[in-house]
Amino acid sequence: MEQAIQAAISGALQGSLFALMALGLSLTWGFLRVINLAHFGVILLGAYLTIEWAGPTGLGPLGVLVVTVPILFVVAAVIHLLYDRFEVSELNSLLISYGLLILMIQLVQNYWTADFQRLPGDINPYATRSVSVGSLIFPLPTVMAALFAAVLVVGIRLFLDRTYAGRALQAFGQDRQIAAAFGIDHRTLGILLAGASGATAAVAGTLFTLRGTVTPDSAMEWVGLVFAIVILGGIGNVAGTLWAGLLVGAVSGLVAVVWNPATSPLVVFSLVVLALIFRPQGLFRRKAAH
Amino acid sequence: MRRERGWILIPVLAVLVAVMPQLRDATGFATSYVILASELLFWAALATSWNLLSGYAGYFSFGQGAFFGVGVYAMAVLTVRMGWDWWQAILVGGVLSTVLALVVGFIAFRLRSLRGEIFALLTLALPFILLAVARLNDAIDGGQGLTVPVPKVPGWIGTPQDFFFVVSGAVAVVAIAVSYWMSQTRYGWALFAIHDDEDVAEAIGVPTFSHKMYAIALTGVIAGLAGGAYALRVGFVTPEGTFNLRVPVMVIVMSVLGGRRHWAGPLVGALYVMILQNRLQTLKLEGWSLVILGVVLIALVLLAPDGLMSRFARRRWTVAGVAVLGVLVPALAGAFGGDFVWSVASGLLLAAFVGFLPARRTEAGEAGSGAVAAQGEWADAPASADEVVVETVDVKKHFGGLKAVDGVSIQVRSGEILGLVGPNGSGKTTLVNLISGFFPPTSGTVKVGGVDTTGMRPHHIAHLGVARTYQIPRPFPSLTVRDNVAIAIMFGREPKSLHAARQEAERYLALVGLAGRGDDLPGGINLHERQLLEMARAMATRPKLLLLDEALAGLNPVEIDNAVEVVWRIHRSGVSIVLVEHLLRVVNQLATRIVVMNQGTVLASGEPSVVMRDPQVVSAYLGRSADAQGH
Repeated sequence: MEQAIQAAISGALQGSLFALMALGLSLTWGFLRVINLAHFGVILLGAYLTIEWAGPTGLGPLGVLVVTVPILFVVAAVIHLLYDRFEVSELNSLLISYGLLILMIQLVQNYWTADFQRLPGDINPYATRSVSVGSLIFPLPTVMAALFAAVLVVGIRLFLDRTYAGRALQAFGQDRQIAAAFGIDHRTLGILLAGASGATAAVAGTLFTLRGTVTPDSAMEWVGLVFAIVILGGIGNVAGTLWAGLLVGAVSGLVAVVWNPATSPLVVFSLVVLALIFRPQGLFRRKAAH
Repeated sequence: MRRERGWILIPVLAVLVAVMPQLRDATGFATSYVILASELLFWAALATSWNLLSGYAGYFSFGQGAFFGVGVYAMAVLTVRMGWDWWQAILVGGVLSTVLALVVGFIAFRLRSLRGEIFALLTLALPFILLAVARLNDAIDGGQGLTVPVPKVPGWIGTPQDFFFVVSGAVAVVAIAVSYWMSQTRYGWALFAIHDDEDVAEAIGVPTFSHKMYAIALTGVIAGLAGGAYALRVGFVTPEGTFNLRVPVMVIVMSVLGGRRHWAGPLVGALYVMILQNRLQTLKLEGWSLVILGVVLIALVLLAPDGLMSRFARRRWTVAGVAVLGVLVPALAGAFGGDFVWSVASGLLLAAFVGFLPARRTEAGEAGSGAVAAQGEWADAPASADEVVVETVDVKKHFGGLKAVDGVSIQVRSGEILGLVGPNGSGKTTLVNLISGFFPPTSGTVKVGGVDTTGMRPHHIAHLGVARTYQIPRPFPSLTVRDNVAIAIMFGREPKSLHAARQEAERYLALVGLAGRGDDLPGGINLHERQLLEMARAMATRPKLLLLDEALAGLNPVEIDNAVEVVWRIHRSGVSIVLVEHLLRVVNQLATRIVVMNQGTVLASGEPSVVMRDPQVVSAYLGRSADAQGH
């Protein structure tokens, strides 16, 4: 029993890292109507830049965020400029960003090779530490991921509900033309939101390197799970994304321990299919705002 | 409407594949070329299989690696662990892959809420699930990889390399033949219609679910066979090498490059991509191939989404000539150090260049402006016996708390033009959607010709004799005006071939006065003509009842008169009509009876002149004060 609790909570904490990856994707899909697979390329860049710079600059893995967050903000904003300039449809954004993703993965591979990379132990003090609650033990990196995810979700929620820009974005997500008719400058807002999702990607990339190794193909390995979380959480629903991440993580953690690790992707994706059948709006539907 | 003669390429390809091993001895063709050609044909087969569902029907799949991988592992496991023959294994692989495809299709296409984007994302996850299964399951792979034995090569073939070429080539010929056959028959055209507008396809009688299932099954079987051929050829398979990112990238880029609407598109795309990859290898630049493919994909989607075949088709002989010269001249002159692949590359580049030259301005035919007066033999049908064509019995449709239609019972009799009027939001369009089967009623029943249609799919109801038009015209944008009508004829109560349907389509175009516009695309005709096209397409289903949902909205007075004339003509041919309309002038002119709706219920019903003076009706329309003033 205790083993099961341990597995579920550890899984949920790991799931929060995937929720962090899903956050930016869910935002740009929900509010800007682009499905941006290149987001995974941006996360990958975040991870590799962390490994590259954490040691030599003396900033440490978390300190590197000071540099990577602005850089990836710009990268994601520039990618969105492309979608915006050509007014791509939702389906075409999927295709174009797929092209961008394979391009980014290949460039990362050409520069950093296809080998496993990890942060050297001496500059990653978090990897070996853990947090214990009673008899339960959790690795520190996953706890940090959960904290970051919670802070970002609350922050984004407040931004969307309390600021003019946030409300304008919500209006834009519901009906572009009407919102534009009311004088909402969707271009600037869209680019800022895409940039912000790039910033969350930087955080997700860094947190991923705290836990272990990364290869160029890691980006493709994230895709399935992260989209499952986006869809389960409800597209554009930030809090739902976090809950979905925790749930998916807990379920796959439990299945891996109770059953066997090979079946956990099967269980998770069966969950997604069931959710699509019974709750097409996501598991945690926000109350309609009107 | 040029007759398609490209099918000749398919037997030519088949013969080439069969005799190549003999020719090779005679011509001294290098083995490296045979290997390249096998790889090319394998990718052409796989890309073509992808294109059947994702190109024709527009359901983008990132999961081709899964169907392919099932074929790969069927070959590996059955030959290595069970000692089966290669041909048994390749067939079983095709069957297993089809089963997987049908399961995926059954889950995905049953969901009404499932949009194309979600389908794409679901398929993205599929190879990764199978990767985990194969990697962790010792009965399949277990993570070590499997070495497929080289089979005994039949005597007439020669070396194993020739044998692999013949197997890959056979699968490619089958794939391309299937793709061609579909593009010329109802099976492919159903998918074209689904690609453009799935709801409308259903409304004109296309059984969309079953056609999507056929398409995904064919995708599965061909991908499974191709997977078996691949495993045989490469000889060593690993989970990571099979269920990876390469397969979907390649098939998507090839199909988008070659053209997704053309049966030969994936083949042409495969040719370009394979030659590119091969040349990058000789230049030691393999690391850049995915970068280049990514850039090509992005550029094509943004700038030339139709792909090469649509460009080549405009000037096919020039392109073919340039390509042949571009290959032969350098090859015979011994340029590029005699490397034949460079010659092929130069021919392909020249062909692409010619394809992308700006087109000569072709004059837009006899610029037939506006609708022409109708001709044709539309006999006035005798008014048939007074029978109920459609009946709703206390039908209700609630959306959450909103009672859009709240207990409506109406009958439409043969020979009637029933004017359905009422303020905005009174439930008229919802009623149209209930009758045509797009919404299931919350309660109550709809009967067409006495048959209860509750729970029927819309295409079934269309076959019972209900046709509709849309408030905002929804033609299939990528089909010509004629083919928009022809597709409704093909999927009528009695199935018809494309050829017959195209001929018959002229009658319906003449009925509404669009004769002469048949070759235009819907984007090239005006709103009035698009509304007429809606009517022609609806009539082509040979309905007993036509639901006209504000078919005259937004027209100028001259156009309205013309449209009214067309509606008369349709009615005289023996079709009952429900006319949803805001223009009271039109309703008074056409309707034999009027039903007034307000807030989801029937407010009044009867003779136009009587109903329009009903005080309740006047107040619903114009407000109480108008009523009080006696207007």
